[in-house]
Amino acid sequence: MIRIAAVGDVHVDKDVLGRFRPALEELPERADALLIAGDLTRHGTVEEARCFVTEFGGLGVPVVAVLGNHDHQSDQQARVSDVLTESGITVLEGDTTVLELHGHRLGIAGVKGFGGGFAGASASNFGEREMKDFVGTTEVIAERLENALKSIEVDALVALTHYAPVPDTLLGEPLEIYAFLGCYQLGRAIDAAPTALALHGHAHHGSERGRTPGGVPVRNVAHPVIKQAYNVYQLLTEHVDAELVAS
Amino acid sequence: MSTQLDEYLEAEIQSMLTDGRIAELGITVQRREHLLVLGGEVESGRRRDEICRQINERFPDVHIVCDIGITRASAPSEVEEIS
Repeated sequence: MIRIAAVGDVHVDKDVLGRFRPALEELPERADALLIAGDLTRHGTVEEARCFVTEFGGLGVPVVAVLGNHDHQSDQQARVSDVLTESGITVLEGDTTVLELHGHRLGIAGVKGFGGGFAGASASNFGEREMKDFVGTTEVIAERLENALKSIEVDALVALTHYAPVPDTLLGEPLEIYAFLGCYQLGRAIDAAPTALALHGHAHHGSERGRTPGGVPVRNVAHPVIKQAYNVYQLLTEHVDAELVAS
Repeated sequence: MSTQLDEYLEAEIQSMLTDGRIAELGITVQRREHLLVLGGEVESGRRRDEICRQINERFPDVHIVCDIGITRASAPSEVEEIS
């Protein structure tokens, strides 16, 4: 059995310091690792990244993250990643990490992802250069996710993105902005591998639960959606246990 | 001339909310008969107060109600089994 905690869109800045920490201090009693589904910061500055590390670092369990669109706002995403990595947080963008937990191998493949929309209402790689750049970016990122997911053999495989891979978890958002919240290409990449769980954020007004066309469970862990410091998911269950150890 | 409560005002406020200073993409703006309601959730009370201060300062003649909540950050009490 493996338990993973997950949250996204925590948008840490100085004003958030201390809000998550009490719940995070309890995390090692509840989960074996913490996955962060992007938008760690508010404006993507190095100073905010340091605030994030102060709040989410040093937990005693592995922390694995992807960046979100907010983390790109100041064009300092490389330096933001460096700050996280230097503190021991693993940052994924088209690559993977494997965690050995209780004798099981948990594989995590991550990308930020991008928009583009879903079946019947998706953008096409056609027309103006700007449009082709937009959809072309989506396609490249989704291909990197697919390759990453296929590159490891593990007991449980998790896809971690910021943008949504399915429209199910966008329910509650205006239909008009679905194309800016996710894309079907991410879902197709997830379905191309034996993925056990897909986690994403980004859609603050969306819904928590969905499935890819191939049947992979999808969870929107954006903080405003889950309304708690993190959710906990249990994989490779040997027996059903609905109660957490700590109360 | 007083500010009209129309969709251009709503769009301008949405633009303010998503610019570099505030950077909140999850705030809703709803028009009522004589007022505007800002909704959604943010990560701190200070952030909520700053959003409402900036919008009120930019549109002093518009009655703006700040109904923005603070997202709870307590530890979970349950685990979901994925199958």
